[in-house]
Amino acid sequence: MGLLSIIRKIKRKEKEMRILMVGLDNSGKTTIVLKINGEDTSVISPTLGFNIKTITYQKYTLNIWDVGGQKTIRSYWRNYFEQTDGLVWVVDSSDLRRLDDCKLELDNLLKEERLSGATLLILANKQDIKGALTPEEIAKVLNLEAMDKSRHWQIVGCSAYTGEGLLEGFDWLVQDIASRIYMLD
Amino acid sequence: MEDETEKQKKHLAMVERLSKRPQSRPTNAESSAESTSSFLSRFSELKTSIDFQLHQSQSLSSDPPNLKLHFQNISQSISDLEKLVAQNSYLLPSYDVRTSLKTVSDLKLSLQNITNQLIPKTKFSFKNKPTKKDPKDTAIPQPKQLPQPSIPGTRLAARESPGFRNKVGEVLVAEFRGSEVGEFAVSDLDSCEVRIIGSVRALFVHRLKNSRVYVGPVTGSVLIEEAEDCVFVMASHQIRIHSARKSDFYLRVRSKPIIEDSNGVRFAPYCLSYRGIEEDLRGAGLDAESGNWENVDDFRWLRAVQSPNWSVLPESERVGIIDISNLKNGDEEI
Ligand SMILES: Nc1nc2c(ncn2[C@@H]2O[C@H](COP(=O)(O)OP(=O)(O)OP(=O)(O)O)[C@@H](O)[C@H]2O)c(=O)[nH]1
Ligand SMILES: [Mg+2]
Repeated sequence: MGLLSIIRKIKRKEKEMRILMVGLDNSGKTTIVLKINGEDTSVISPTLGFNIKTITYQKYTLNIWDVGGQKTIRSYWRNYFEQTDGLVWVVDSSDLRRLDDCKLELDNLLKEERLSGATLLILANKQDIKGALTPEEIAKVLNLEAMDKSRHWQIVGCSAYTGEGLLEGFDWLVQDIASRIYMLD
Repeated sequence: MEDETEKQKKHLAMVERLSKRPQSRPTNAESSAESTSSFLSRFSELKTSIDFQLHQSQSLSSDPPNLKLHFQNISQSISDLEKLVAQNSYLLPSYDVRTSLKTVSDLKLSLQNITNQLIPKTKFSFKNKPTKKDPKDTAIPQPKQLPQPSIPGTRLAARESPGFRNKVGEVLVAEFRGSEVGEFAVSDLDSCEVRIIGSVRALFVHRLKNSRVYVGPVTGSVLIEEAEDCVFVMASHQIRIHSARKSDFYLRVRSKPIIEDSNGVRFAPYCLSYRGIEEDLRGAGLDAESGNWENVDDFRWLRAVQSPNWSVLPESERVGIIDISNLKNGDEEI
């Protein structure tokens, strides 16, 4: 038995999931993680490097990796790909100008071999902002329908500001990972 | 063989730690946690050896030529250590980066002190010369930027945020008192003055030249990309500045302002005034000065030493309080 399968085994027993949060800078990744964890979100600096949060969610333990999205550090995202069960791609739905950038970075990410088995949740964040695009519009711009058929994915509108949509998104993500990993034995 | 038993103890402790992992912080990212811990052990190894070298200096005090060489070696080792931190800085939790950089600067200080102590002042500057490193040596390697092809047809041409766009030489005034505003965009302006009275949730600034931008409190974040020869006066929860050159920022921010790919940018505290601004600032949770206007993080310069890309605007060069209460569109020349 290889090391990987041993690790998988331990993970299964512990009901652990590894979640990687990425997206352009300013999209709201850190705010989302803190909000889900019920922490204060009033003072958050742009992330230099990454944060790890271990959160108990339903009967699972989520290890959430929140990696900074500034251009300088995007090329380091790949250091965090290994062993990812769930990929959360966060979009600032009010940042219309950078949607091209957003699409480009997401496309690059989805080409990654090491992420090919990961469940993908796209959070169309900042829905509380008046001019924000709807999740349907974001899906269209990102051309999500063209995604590889084998990928499990879902797009959910949310606001880290009001908390709306976050649980819906994470419920789906956790259920999908659980059904892939834990119930297939 | 004290060394051997020490080693063994360490090894046992490590095995013990590893065996406990599934209970304590289990899958906590096998690969990255691994690279953090291997960095930390390499780092402490090097540090121990530098400490040891420093400690030995005293015994060479009667042998100046060798002492000089000795100090050069130590200086080289410290540079190597610094390089190691720089190379790993993106893998590491920022806490570890900061403590490592602190350790490096402490070591430099120790070296400095012991050099001063053992080598007479007059010769000091001469002897110290070779230890000086080109700062570029230890700068963080810049990640390669792939040329980014533009993708046609992905834009939603029909939608645009409210904002000011494509103007030359105008005064542009927006007033949002009492009305709920979402995002606001200011882009492609040349020689303009922008005044935003009241509060917005998110502000996007793109491609500005020789312009001045005065804004009331932003309850979310400000994103500025490509600005040259501009003055910004803004209060916000977060401010990100990308590709700015020769511009001054008068800020009040709840978190640290950050710059990336910028140079010649200077910072000073917020100095805007209009009738009712206190109330707006309070409403946005920005009534207290946080002092963060000068806690700038340069993402291209993750080092303990001050980034050369930004500075504090000297008090003598700052503008005074800027009052935009009574100025309506076009009333004033720029
Ligand atoms: N209005 C609104 N603002 C939000 C929302 N989510 C986040 N923000 C704001 O967006 C800004 C960026 O949030 P962060 O959580 O720091 O973004 P990030 O993705 O972690 O950014 P990096 O660490 O630079 O990659 C902050 O000012 C947040 O207050 C939201 O749902 N609505
Ligand atoms: Mg962040």
